[in-house]
Amino acid sequence: MTPTDFCYLTISEAAASLRRKDFSPVELTKACLARIEGIDGKLHTFITLTADRALMEAREAEKKLQSGADRGPLHGIPIGLKDLYATKGIRTTCHSAVLENWIPDYDSAAVTKLQQAGTISLGKLGMHEFAFGGPSVDAPFPAVRNPWNTAHIPGGSSSGSGAALAAGLCYGTLGSDTGGSIRTPSSHCGIVGIKPTYGRVSRYGVVPLSWSLDHAGPMARSVEDCAILLQAIAGYDARDSASANVAVADFRAGLRDGINDLRVGVPRAYWFNENKGTDPETEAVFNDALKILDSLGAVIIEIDGQPFSNARKANQTILVCEAYAYHEKTLQATPMKFGSSVRRRMLEGAFLSAADYIAAQRARSVLNEQIRANFSRVDVFATPSAPRPPEAFESMDPNEQNLRPNFTNPFNLTGLPAISVPCGFTAGNLPVGLQIVARPFEEATCFRVAYAYEQATEWHKQRPPL
Amino acid sequence: MTDEITLDELRGMAVHAGLTLSDDELLKLLPGVNRAREQVAELRRLVTDTAEPAGAFTALKDEMA
Repeated sequence: MTPTDFCYLTISEAAASLRRKDFSPVELTKACLARIEGIDGKLHTFITLTADRALMEAREAEKKLQSGADRGPLHGIPIGLKDLYATKGIRTTCHSAVLENWIPDYDSAAVTKLQQAGTISLGKLGMHEFAFGGPSVDAPFPAVRNPWNTAHIPGGSSSGSGAALAAGLCYGTLGSDTGGSIRTPSSHCGIVGIKPTYGRVSRYGVVPLSWSLDHAGPMARSVEDCAILLQAIAGYDARDSASANVAVADFRAGLRDGINDLRVGVPRAYWFNENKGTDPETEAVFNDALKILDSLGAVIIEIDGQPFSNARKANQTILVCEAYAYHEKTLQATPMKFGSSVRRRMLEGAFLSAADYIAAQRARSVLNEQIRANFSRVDVFATPSAPRPPEAFESMDPNEQNLRPNFTNPFNLTGLPAISVPCGFTAGNLPVGLQIVARPFEEATCFRVAYAYEQATEWHKQRPPL
Repeated sequence: MTDEITLDELRGMAVHAGLTLSDDELLKLLPGVNRAREQVAELRRLVTDTAEPAGAFTALKDEMA
């Protein structure tokens, strides 16, 4: 096995090898650190690398595993954390000058759970500033680059979380998703990411963007790895006002059950062609993915996309109002500490009224009902994860997102679980993702469909030309 | 269509909101603010008379835990 092969193992492969004693957590961690040192200078995925601490944790994991104190499949696995998860004693910046020197004195709930599962944290990953706006070109840390082509964006806001996995710098990451921030970088970087149901994973210690739309979730290089990570971080937490006291299923139990007779709804009409429409190459790749699902026994059903299309307006209105409310004092006192992209988006919320915000929350109720009504006819929804391939930094248009259909944010508005799995490449060798959305708290269905698709294809095995 | 707000109006709204922003910054904000207001106008057309706002509050939260 080459050092590169070593770094591209899945969590489940690495976990099996650790238990066979093919190698140790220390060797795994050193391999990641060496690769980070070798190539992260051109990707900028890590804001804060905690190498010494990681090696200490790896030695501890090695001792524990040798003594038989096995904490499960994540024990001894190196991971990275989006830099909005509070980490005790470790700088947590949100990729912003506003929090450039903030060192929390507590850990976020998800970080604590991953520590309890025995993971090794390599450090904190770059992102879009405060998880909003575009790539942070005027923030104190460089913008993350896409490993498939460093001239292109990796998608955001969990840009470092997606790019680090695609580059083989770690085995799993945490992201967060308010309008697509897990699924878009997963799609653009050719990896897997799930936005769980709203309330499934505690957001305690995750710096908020928009309380009623924020979701915490995992990203990885395979569907099974995502299921392993979600298993570790899911569950009720009284410290999060939106946390749901709902039993957590075994997410891997039904992975291999197949999708025969599963009804897949495609909300194409009145959505995929909205404004400038979906990029034709992306839609062609998506249509090929539907053919694979069909060949696996699923039934493809076209459904009305209009309520999905309308969801963007409600999502964006709620988001800017809540984001402004959270950052109001800082925007009043030191607005120029924010980068221009995030500042201008957040300030939109200052000029909307309370009645405007309530109108958006009322529309949310209506759209939620209309979208969920489709579950009487279908079991899951399928869409491309992103309407177009990742743009080049040079030609990036900040208004582009308003000119294309947004396939991710209806599921922040409705809180439904949604996964992105690699489903192909453009002619320019840029990844495309397939999004699968299930009923509330049915993440296991997302995993089952995505796994069936993944195992029938080879897309997830491709590596960027680094 | 909703009435678009002007730079002068935006300047006044910014002062009321406790924001100190240059005219250059306000000018850059203006298209986004008008787009956001237009979006809300479209949302209002979707809202039915009986629709209540989605919300996270429940009096039973602690008991449900």
